[in-house]
Amino acid sequence: MADSMEGVITTSDSEPTVSESSKVVNDIKANFALLERAVTQFDARFTLRALRSISSLRKRLTASVLAEAITLAYPQGSERGLELIRVTGEDPSNIPSNGKTGKVENGKKGEEPIPEIDVYLSILIMVYLYDSKKYQEGAEFSSDLVDSIRELNRRTLDTLGSKAYFYFQLFHEGLDPKAPSKLSPVVDIRVKLLAALRSAVLRKDLDTQASVTTLLLRNYLSTDDNNQAHLLVGQTQFPSTAPNNQVARYFYYLGRIRAIQLAYTEAHEHLTSATRKAPSNATAAGFYQASMKFLVVVELLMGDIPDRALFSQPKLEVALEPYFRLVQAVRVGDLQNFARVVQQHSSSFVKDGTHTLILRLRQNVIKTGIRMLSLSYSRISLRDICIRLGLESEESAEYIVDKAVRDGVIEADVDHEKGYMQTKQAGDVYATREPGEAFHERIRACLALHDESVKAMRFPMNQHRLELKNAQEARERERELAKEIQDGDIDEDDAGGEFEGL
Amino acid sequence: MAYQAEKELQEILGRIHKTAGSATNSAQIQPLLARAKINLLQLNALIPARDTPEKHLKLARDVFEAGAFVCIKFPDAEGFTRYFQQLQPFYDLPEEMLSHEGANKSRITGLYLLLLLSQGDTSGFHTMLERLINAAYAAEKNGTGKPLEDDEFIQYPRKLEEALSEGTYDRAWNMTMVEKVPGPEFAVFSDILRDTIRSEIASCAEVAYKNLSVRGAKNVLKLDSEGAVVKFAENRGWIIKDEHVYFPTKEADLQASERDNTSASRTIIENMLSYARQLENIV
Repeated sequence: MADSMEGVITTSDSEPTVSESSKVVNDIKANFALLERAVTQFDARFTLRALRSISSLRKRLTASVLAEAITLAYPQGSERGLELIRVTGEDPSNIPSNGKTGKVENGKKGEEPIPEIDVYLSILIMVYLYDSKKYQEGAEFSSDLVDSIRELNRRTLDTLGSKAYFYFQLFHEGLDPKAPSKLSPVVDIRVKLLAALRSAVLRKDLDTQASVTTLLLRNYLSTDDNNQAHLLVGQTQFPSTAPNNQVARYFYYLGRIRAIQLAYTEAHEHLTSATRKAPSNATAAGFYQASMKFLVVVELLMGDIPDRALFSQPKLEVALEPYFRLVQAVRVGDLQNFARVVQQHSSSFVKDGTHTLILRLRQNVIKTGIRMLSLSYSRISLRDICIRLGLESEESAEYIVDKAVRDGVIEADVDHEKGYMQTKQAGDVYATREPGEAFHERIRACLALHDESVKAMRFPMNQHRLELKNAQEARERERELAKEIQDGDIDEDDAGGEFEGL
Repeated sequence: MAYQAEKELQEILGRIHKTAGSATNSAQIQPLLARAKINLLQLNALIPARDTPEKHLKLARDVFEAGAFVCIKFPDAEGFTRYFQQLQPFYDLPEEMLSHEGANKSRITGLYLLLLLSQGDTSGFHTMLERLINAAYAAEKNGTGKPLEDDEFIQYPRKLEEALSEGTYDRAWNMTMVEKVPGPEFAVFSDILRDTIRSEIASCAEVAYKNLSVRGAKNVLKLDSEGAVVKFAENRGWIIKDEHVYFPTKEADLQASERDNTSASRTIIENMLSYARQLENIV
């Protein structure tokens, strides 16, 4: 639907036809009602629903559509309304005065709309400004907006506010000089973001807290301030009830930080969570690819080889092609080929920010090479190892083998006098605890999944009371229950179950 | 006032540079550095601000660099780290605000990397390196600055770390020789690094060899004499029998893993019980 709309817009010379633009305005208007309901019923779900429609509105937004929506929301002659229209780039005096209808729609004559609608419209304006690459205007507008949101301090604004901070950061990233320059405007906005984080925590505003935390991490990583990012993670708590998308982002950044610090096991855990939590629809393919790239490199650094099936996923096939070549080189343990692949694709690795991690892979290539040798030969001279791995000297080869033995890469003995490596007979894995541990891991994961899904179930509020309208019946059941408990053939756990069933 | 402080600073700096070469202990220079810092404070140049004049910025940078070198000469890891961190904002300034001419940025950064390496802080080392590599890529793209590969002060700790993590200890060992270090300050770390390398080799040897002849051990561990091997073996608790070194830790490890296996039954029982409990909850 959105796609076909886009097609129409481009063919009809950028100005949408009247019916289309009025349709968009109607969509926006429908969201006003949702926002009002969110405020009166104090339920953030309606706000979320309004926000969710942004992605479908996004492609159809134009300055005139926005201006029309604004005139609908604000009474005629409202200062704020005129200001918003000016930001969109339309001339307020050109707007056909349909202010009257606006008042009627709102039902309140001459009154300013609730702040939620104001912020919602501002978010739409920011989306429009960002898509039309007006970063400077966007940066100024968003700074004012986040300030006013902080002053308003309304809990019903929380979800909208977190979105506003998101664009606030995006606009500043677009300004020159771009990160990683230390003079980039992103460095200046850290003060504001940190202040926002502090107030969000104090006000128990979980949405803003989660989104500002991820934004700060993104901000720090963009200028390579890994230490600050690490400290931020150590000093703050990420809300456990944060929206899924924020959690995915948080894990992604956390994984990156840990990978830089060589904590590969942790990095692997976080990046796996990030890729699993990544939304599966097409809009978030970029995030999925980016986190997958890091995951592949971290897996290689841990000495694992990622599954081949991973690279044939339609979403990843093209984007991960350089990484596929990399995995092939590491798997074979061929140093020359590895160097060639890194050289060939270095520009795309630099762009992805994985090149520093990839440079560390050299030692893994050597390790794999040694493992291959120890698997194929029961006894091999150090000179042959040296030749096959392309090393500088036999002495180097001996030390490398020593280290591989200590790190548990291979099971072997080295004879210094005669200069050879002798592989030990591999033991029977099934005689050890390993299979048991692997099973335990999996069973635990399944149980945790079950627990999580039980926790995630939602029940409509107060619904059970409706069913209990018949008070007589309820009392009867209670009496029955009491009798059963007295009889003693029901224990506490089961009683709890009964109550849930009511 | 400002002029006076400026003048005094220049004079102190001159004296620091003069005495640094001949000084035998840090107590001779520390008071000078302290006075220089007070003067910087009066000029309000301890931390660079947008409106600090270039002259003051340069003076501040020179004072901190001098301090950093003093800390290297009379080993003071904490002091050096402090100076290094104070220098960061100055190095991050753009060319227009403070000319990079005459700065010792790469020398000091290289020393810092080496310090991290000698302390075994690999995670700090890589965090720092990541920043440097990214900055170098960005600079190269803008056409300013040279690639990191041409910077011998940064390349030295990088190559050394590479050799250590690969396991090519002979290469790492050769790099600590006096004639291989890129600057006289770098030699300060050689002794610490050599100890680190030797203990790495020893811990590998314990596992990799069944036994080693004393002569072989001398070569492997890069020791000077066979007597030194005997001494080293004693320190690590190795046994020397018939001109051969034996590693008792290996046997102990084997026994430990067997004992581990018997205690495993306990964890298995615990696991089973927890499964049963969970199943009960679900059904």
